[in-house]
Amino acid sequence: MKRRDFLRVSGLSTPVLLNGLSLSTLAKSRLFSTIDGDSDRILVLIQLTGGNDGLNTIIPMDMYDRLQAVRTDIMVPENSVINIDQDLAMHGSMESMHELYTQQQLKIVQGVAYPNQNRSHFRSTDIWTSGSPATEVWIDGWLGRYFQNRHPEFPTGYPNADCPDPFAITVGSLVSATCQGITGNFSMAISDVDSLNPISEGATGSLPDTPYGDELMFLREAIRQTNAYAEQITNAADAGTTSVSYNEDNPLAQSLKTVAQLISGGLQTRVYVVSLGGFDTHAGQVNENDSNAGMHADLLQTVSEAVFSFQTDIQNQGLQDRVLGMTFSEFGRQIAQNDSFGTDHGTAAPLFLFGNCVDPAILGHNAEIPELVDPQDGVAMQYDFRDIYGSVLVDWFDVEEAEVREILHPEFIKLPLLDQNCLMTTSTSDPTAVDQLVDMVIRPQPVRGTAYIDLELRESAEVDLRIYDSVGKELATLISGRVDAGLSTYSHDCHRFPAGNYYCRLRVGRRHMTQLMLVI
Amino acid sequence: MKQDLVKQLLEGTLTHEEVIAQIDYSQIESPAEAVSMRPPPDTGTATYTGEWTAAQAKHLLQRTTFGATREMIQQSVANGMAWTVDKLLEALPAPSPPLAYSELDVSVSIGETWVDAPVVRGNNQQYNARRRSMRAWHTGRLLSGEFNLREKMTLFWHNHFAVEDLVVIDARYQYTYLKTLRDNCFGNFRELCKLITIDPMMLRYLNGRSNQAGSPNENYARELLELFSIGKGPQVGEGDYTHYTEDDVRELARVLTGWRDLGYLTENENLEVGSAFRRNLHDQEPKTLSHRFDFVTIENMNELEYAHAIDIIFGKKECARFICRKLYRWFVYYEITDVEEMQVIEPLADALVAADYEIEAVLRILLQSEHFYDPLNCGCMIKSPIDFVNNLLTQLSVPISGTVVQEYNTWFRIYQFTSTIQQQLFQPPNVAGWSAYYQAPGYYRLWTNGVTLPMRIQYTDLMTLVGFRVMGLNIQIDFLDHISAYDNPTDPNDLIREAISLHCPKEFTEEQETFLKSALLPGLPDFEWTVEYGEYLGNPSDEGLRNAVHTKLRLFFRTLMLHPEYHLS
Repeated sequence: MKRRDFLRVSGLSTPVLLNGLSLSTLAKSRLFSTIDGDSDRILVLIQLTGGNDGLNTIIPMDMYDRLQAVRTDIMVPENSVINIDQDLAMHGSMESMHELYTQQQLKIVQGVAYPNQNRSHFRSTDIWTSGSPATEVWIDGWLGRYFQNRHPEFPTGYPNADCPDPFAITVGSLVSATCQGITGNFSMAISDVDSLNPISEGATGSLPDTPYGDELMFLREAIRQTNAYAEQITNAADAGTTSVSYNEDNPLAQSLKTVAQLISGGLQTRVYVVSLGGFDTHAGQVNENDSNAGMHADLLQTVSEAVFSFQTDIQNQGLQDRVLGMTFSEFGRQIAQNDSFGTDHGTAAPLFLFGNCVDPAILGHNAEIPELVDPQDGVAMQYDFRDIYGSVLVDWFDVEEAEVREILHPEFIKLPLLDQNCLMTTSTSDPTAVDQLVDMVIRPQPVRGTAYIDLELRESAEVDLRIYDSVGKELATLISGRVDAGLSTYSHDCHRFPAGNYYCRLRVGRRHMTQLMLVI
Repeated sequence: MKQDLVKQLLEGTLTHEEVIAQIDYSQIESPAEAVSMRPPPDTGTATYTGEWTAAQAKHLLQRTTFGATREMIQQSVANGMAWTVDKLLEALPAPSPPLAYSELDVSVSIGETWVDAPVVRGNNQQYNARRRSMRAWHTGRLLSGEFNLREKMTLFWHNHFAVEDLVVIDARYQYTYLKTLRDNCFGNFRELCKLITIDPMMLRYLNGRSNQAGSPNENYARELLELFSIGKGPQVGEGDYTHYTEDDVRELARVLTGWRDLGYLTENENLEVGSAFRRNLHDQEPKTLSHRFDFVTIENMNELEYAHAIDIIFGKKECARFICRKLYRWFVYYEITDVEEMQVIEPLADALVAADYEIEAVLRILLQSEHFYDPLNCGCMIKSPIDFVNNLLTQLSVPISGTVVQEYNTWFRIYQFTSTIQQQLFQPPNVAGWSAYYQAPGYYRLWTNGVTLPMRIQYTDLMTLVGFRVMGLNIQIDFLDHISAYDNPTDPNDLIREAISLHCPKEFTEEQETFLKSALLPGLPDFEWTVEYGEYLGNPSDEGLRNAVHTKLRLFFRTLMLHPEYHLS
């Protein structure tokens, strides 16, 4: 859609139109009965800007030797990591986060990315914040669409008695692209809850239908809304409290402290977005003489400590069943290091959810490190980030799956991220592990010419099988549809594939698995 | 931020760091919104031949300087558009270099320049003192009040070839980099791109210095294509961004191997800041670009190879389109529809190619075009923080004149303030520059939000009502001096109209004028202004009369600047 096709917030009494459809009609067609769902649930997003090196965060210890071979300068010593289980570990600076894990308040999702990874920061950030496919440019945000469906005329007429508080708050000076709607951004930026003094709007005049009029309307609206919400936020900040001491030198902890205070003070805001920059560790990711210390270790400690303080605070205040946190970053980094004690832009990486309601089981298998790593190889995708967003919307905000398919992607599959007992709803997740549903064997390994893939299904199921290359590009779809129980074999001609690492990503029902396929 | 935060920041009782500790600049996000369905302007690049009044002169000067004064506007009206553009593009002598203003720079005395002086290795206080001097001096340049385009173009290039001074902390590198931009600000885009490619600051900032044969670092090569020269088009295939491909990134990284910067934080006074080519670190094998560059093969040319490769990139007209769009967003408006693309960008790009990439050629065309003066393009730019802060100081002729220490400290405080409201010199959010110039759909609107709007208004409140004080130097507005040049300041209606026309882009409604008059003359008839102001003019040395009139003017200008219109240019 071109921007000129969009409506603008005019404040005029004429009905606003979206491609000829009245927005109120559009709204009625959606499930208005679930407008605010279980309206006191809150989502806290932590954006790790720059592309977090997942392999230095959640370390596949079963692949340690292979990793060390291509990360000679930067690999953390084997004895300094914190073991999660016998073949998976956290970076040694993440003690507090590990503590959350042992308290079953942390969920790790391995290998999160999207097909056809884009390695530009700006573009990939746009993809993660908009929830678009890599091949399409969507200018609204994934949460913005969720809010827009429920509040089609925002910001005209907001705040109001039903919605007195901002829908979303970003702690910082910029509103969040995740909350961009078509008619406005649903987030409000605040840097300090004590700072919200009302601004005079001056005298207003009529507005011409010119760019000058458009910009003036924007400024007036910004001032009006800043004032209207400021009072609500100030009241919540006054009423709210915090129960732990947040490290004053930890900027993320300070942002989360503000969030905790506002939640505690009863603000009805549904989404908070905070961020921490510096993850673009091309150079100096670790110290030259100590791979256990350095820029990335400091960042991980900052995140770990901040999340722990926040979660403890939320627990202490009895808010733990209402608050869910999630991290995201635009991409992981390449498997091999570069020559500057750093790593370059890659593909998939782990993602964290935290809170009392997470299902604490680690989702996904360890990142697989091929025996020979090409310089640009990234970590293979296991989970599409839009399935994570969608699962949060369904389980946390009670959004129908049909709507998720519409606002995120049509092939949405709900993932077991949250503890269904905590949510007190009927379990929709299937506890069966994928390897109990199916056996997948790729032969020969390595592949010369044609690859044969044997699937043995325990029962008939919807199956999807695709091949990706090592930078995340989708190359072929082998199966998409129902497959009968029993053994079946599929083949793919790989003659034209350059030698290297490839991945077969298999979906059976709601379950995924990814396997390495070496082509020589 | 507390109510008096801006004052504390400007007066130095709070540091910028204390303020920004609470503000997160790392995100690039977009605010509201969308646009009307009215057709875009249908004007093009033909020379503007309409009337040349204060409105057109102000529009041109506001967009090309950091504050159009009444005097500049009058000169422009008297001499015409062509004269004004000539004057804006006139080559001026190079400004004198930045000076030390603190004893922490142990290598030079206060008042001497440090740009050629070595540092004492490991003396962080000295490094910081120089960085502060650099930032203060740059702010001083932006406040020079010159009737010239060079500072705004230098800032344009700083936004285009963005670097960050916390990554490359040697202020001599920063000075060298900025001098290259200023010396070439109206010059040749392709040649400037070559200079920047081996600029010592850029070699450090984007890891060019660790790019060598056998272990290429692609960071610079990627940004050279994506952000500095040809720009990234839609992705149309695996690693294919329409204008270039991932293969080109890889091959160009190899082309650029072997360059090293020299003199970083050096104690050696004979070692000048510069860059050098190391043949043994250069990849000697041929490089082949993709179909996007006609599969051209680049044979080894050692130290000449980077320039040859840039010539190849600039052989594509897309480079001209890319920079013309950026100039458009810098000078005209953020929205570029198919109509502007066809009527403005394409003719400008043709002209740029015809002029062999001499930027002055397109600046002349753009700034004299029908499109630039189209009423639809007037008053629609939300002022950047630097424009906002500097417009007030420049248009109201606020003097910053004292000792070196006083002047640099004042400039540094102003620098800190513009940083706090999100435009920090030498610290754009990242290598793409400030998001207001590229991030759809918000663009200029990204400058203003719930944090920065209240701070902007605290600033205009502080400046109009009291001013601030730095090391004994008062930074204050003399409104009586300001209005004394107006056509008819004794008539309150004329006074109000002239103030609006100078400080805001368009006329106000009658209702708005009435509201403003209530700030100047609360509940009093018009003639009272004439009487009181007349009495003051008759007895200018009477402090009581002077203060009475000045206070009224302070309240009037404060109220004027509260209007959202004041944020537009």
